[in-house]
Amino acid sequence: MTRADRILILLVLCIMPFMYYHLWFGDDPANYLLIRSSSNAPVTEALRPNRMLHITGPLGESAVEINNGRTRFVSSPCSGQVCVHSGWLSSAGGFSACLPNRVSLTLVGQHPRFDAINF
Amino acid sequence: MTEQLTRLGCLLLALAIGGCGQPKDPVFHDQFFAFGTLIEISLYGVDAQLAESISEEIEQEFMGMHASWHAWQPSVLSSLNDHLSRLEPTTTDSSILPLLGEAGRLSQQSGGLFNPVIGNLIALWGFHDNPLPVGTLPDGAAIKDLVEQAPTVSDITIGDDLITSVNPSAAYDLGGFAKGYAIDLAINRLRASGIENAIINAGGDLRVIGQHGNRPWRIGIRHPRESRILASIEVSGDTSVFTSGDYERFFEVDGKRYHHIIDPRTGYPARSTTSVTVIHSDAATADAATTALFVAGPDQWLATARNMGIRYVMLIDKQGTIHMNPAMQSRIHFESGLDAQISLSARLQ
Repeated sequence: MTRADRILILLVLCIMPFMYYHLWFGDDPANYLLIRSSSNAPVTEALRPNRMLHITGPLGESAVEINNGRTRFVSSPCSGQVCVHSGWLSSAGGFSACLPNRVSLTLVGQHPRFDAINF
Repeated sequence: MTEQLTRLGCLLLALAIGGCGQPKDPVFHDQFFAFGTLIEISLYGVDAQLAESISEEIEQEFMGMHASWHAWQPSVLSSLNDHLSRLEPTTTDSSILPLLGEAGRLSQQSGGLFNPVIGNLIALWGFHDNPLPVGTLPDGAAIKDLVEQAPTVSDITIGDDLITSVNPSAAYDLGGFAKGYAIDLAINRLRASGIENAIINAGGDLRVIGQHGNRPWRIGIRHPRESRILASIEVSGDTSVFTSGDYERFFEVDGKRYHHIIDPRTGYPARSTTSVTVIHSDAATADAATTALFVAGPDQWLATARNMGIRYVMLIDKQGTIHMNPAMQSRIHFESGLDAQISLSARLQ
């Protein structure tokens, strides 16, 4: 066994656990944003470029920000402001909703870490 | 030798990289709004046409249940409440009788901490309004009056022909129960169609059946105070995971939070709990139990869980301490970086 063989085997053994962990347990980058509202059909939005979106619901307009692959509610016409306080969504499976205004944000990826979120 | 090792290395590398190219996740997803929340349906390995069709049927059924069980808009339930408030014996749509019977049974098991007939109290707090009240609290004397009238499910008799009440303050509000009951009906509907691997998620409260292919379903439990995952759990077979929290519906007056889970003993929002998570088989019981255990608080949740036959509980109190029973601790996996004290209870079984 040459030195190159040893390096090759070491490299493979190092990569495999990392890939296993990354694929099964790591945060999955989102591919796109799915916006659902009771007023309109679901729409998909690319996560770049950075921009603001305005979604109309039964209570009024919810403002959604897309910034560097992340998204969040900036404002919404609900009293609790739970959606605004929930902050940024950054990985696949990330979910936030303004239930009073019936607008939801879901980050969609190929390998979401969770099948569902309990809250 | 070098050539053989190189081939071995290439093979291992190919296997590792091959993991990246997993087939597309064969889960059908659909979402719709009902019961004032977002309902998500996930079906594993189901023909797309059947999935679309069954999802549409479930959506229609949820809409029908929401309309029929609404406590403060014109509905079968609100009509029943009108009669009960006047102490008039009445008939009602037979479709809601099993719902009322199950709510009554669970209320009695909980010692009245889950109380589905405090609709007037919930209305007084403004939780029947949309948007919620801003800057105002209900009159303390009115709260005291309703608490003293002490409506319970025992005040209402559901007979073969007539429903009667002996307490004019008893009014159904199934907000802490209807969603779970509806999820159970939806799961029954899926099974009747031959679907064995699915999740029905109603605003974060969910029931799973089967599993995701050759692995369990993976459920993340969101932190009640931060925008991150607190813990995760793997579930399969037939399992409901429900959480009640003070962050779901609330308003603030003078910087103080008033949430929607009312303690029927005091008439005020339960004060010592931030969230309760329950794992149980059926969703209706899990739904009622989270409400009852939230009201029970850190001092009484264990006894209440025993009375309701609940085997897995996690309760987070106002100080951030996590209370749980040993069986729950063995099932739940906390995220790294958790900075909270854990208080382990006696066994529940």
